[in-house]
Amino acid sequence: MARDGKVVRPFAFFRAGAQSDSRANRPILAFEDVYKYFRKDQPTLRGVNLVIERGEFCFVTGPSGAGKSTLLQLVYRKHTVDAGRILFAGRDVARLTSGSIPFLRRNLGIVFQDFKVVKHWTVFENVAVALEILDMPPRLVRARVAEALERVGLAGRGDDRTESLSGGEQQRVAIARAIVTEPALILADEPTGNLDPHLAIDILTLFEEIHATGTTVLFATHDHSLIGQRDHRIIALDDGRVLEARTGLRSWPGAADTRPADVRPSVADARPHEGSGLRVVAGSSRSGSSRTG
Amino acid sequence: MELKTLIGRAKRGLREELRLYLVAITSLSVAFLCVAGALLALTNLSALAERWGQSARMTVYLRDGAQAADVAQLRVVLESLPEVREVEELSSEDARALFLQHAEVSADLAALPPEVFPPSLELSLASGIAPARVDAMAARVAQLRAVEDVETYRGWFDRLDSLLSAGRGLAGVLALLVGLCVLAVIGNTIRLAVARRRDEIEVLKLCGATDAFVRGPFVVEGTFQGFAAAVLAVLVLLVGFMTLRSELDASLAALTGIRAAFLQPWMLIALVLGGALIGAAGSALSLRRYLTV
Repeated sequence: MARDGKVVRPFAFFRAGAQSDSRANRPILAFEDVYKYFRKDQPTLRGVNLVIERGEFCFVTGPSGAGKSTLLQLVYRKHTVDAGRILFAGRDVARLTSGSIPFLRRNLGIVFQDFKVVKHWTVFENVAVALEILDMPPRLVRARVAEALERVGLAGRGDDRTESLSGGEQQRVAIARAIVTEPALILADEPTGNLDPHLAIDILTLFEEIHATGTTVLFATHDHSLIGQRDHRIIALDDGRVLEARTGLRSWPGAADTRPADVRPSVADARPHEGSGLRVVAGSSRSGSSRTG
Repeated sequence: MELKTLIGRAKRGLREELRLYLVAITSLSVAFLCVAGALLALTNLSALAERWGQSARMTVYLRDGAQAADVAQLRVVLESLPEVREVEELSSEDARALFLQHAEVSADLAALPPEVFPPSLELSLASGIAPARVDAMAARVAQLRAVEDVETYRGWFDRLDSLLSAGRGLAGVLALLVGLCVLAVIGNTIRLAVARRRDEIEVLKLCGATDAFVRGPFVVEGTFQGFAAAVLAVLVLLVGFMTLRSELDASLAALTGIRAAFLQPWMLIALVLGGALIGAAGSALSLRRYLTV
């Protein structure tokens, strides 16, 4: 994204489709033996090793306190790792200076459970802000925002006050803001947590549509009813460790279980055992190699 | 960030926090009014000192019964001195007439006989003569035979000088206090605005806004507050000055021989620009701790 000869987004090569650089062949995201401590004696993440390839759609799941949000927060540098490395397109995000963090975030689309939209702004203003930060000309901003709103099903709603929208629509505004800059990676931190099951499916479908255009999506959720309906790679976290990283709940033990989601044994409840296909991928092992699909 | 975007965002902030900013501007204008009032007093005192300084005078009172030849000789001596520009002889009658002409006195004082007013030689001194030199000259002249006493009016100038020095010091202290007060008020106002717009700042930071992008509109808002408060203070002072001008002129002209003057243009510009600058600094400083997201 260049304007007047000035590259306003230094990691522009991360964008989907821009494959000319050798960096384009690297995984988009890699966690290498990552530790994060909020309490000295109890790490929130312990020895996490993960590789997320370009164009993947991954669920990150696990019980509350398992470290899902922390994992994502380390990527967009809300926090910094205490040990290990997180490589975003080959760059160690922990080593970025505070002045470089905004440029990292310009390559990420971040969606939250509580939407994080500015309620007294219009829908247009909420989405356009991501482009204004990039110093994009107003004419282009209008065109890109209209396109993004159309993609999330809010075409023609730009002038509405965001506070007048329903929860699902507010989350769509947040998603439009996340995708309007065409980021390389979308981090969704429990984006369906505040929505009813039908809306949750709608939002998940929306993320899948975005993913279909080549964007990598990391979708954190503890809602197994949502995960069970799709056949994406699952990264299960428990007690700060990665328990599993494989494709689809259907291939998991008990996948044929037709019981309601709230009574089925959760992925995070699973413990590593012989022959189950589950294994702890903490420490020095690389989860990327343990993937089955 | 484009200037248009910056101004647009600042205007939106001002609109949203209009009531808060109006209260702050009103409070600040009272502080600026104190400084402007002190400057106005100093301006007029300085004008008085300048006028009196330019018309440096010395009165040589003659002995009762001094011989006309002695007086004529004295006059020749005085006129030959390089410090003396002009010598005017006042007889007792002339002095009485002058007194009655310049002072509004009652009939009792008008009945005073001319003998009460000693004859004198009124000396206009060249400008820029050091006070020590005037004192030395007065001491030499006092030794002459026809001279009763010499009045240099040094006491008055010393008192006026002291008054001016004290006034300048007071204005300096006042300006410092007002500067701190403006910094604190604008800082607190911006902090309050920031607290109310925390969501907005968080969204901006998560979208990749740099600190400068986030800070920009708040600095513009602080600048506007300082500017508006200073302009308001100047306007209030001008209205007050115009209202009281005729009364001020009457009393000042009779007492000091000068007319009341308003602040000079450069002072007005300095006051307004100073207000804007302090406003900008106050908001920039108060934002530092709120930019960590």
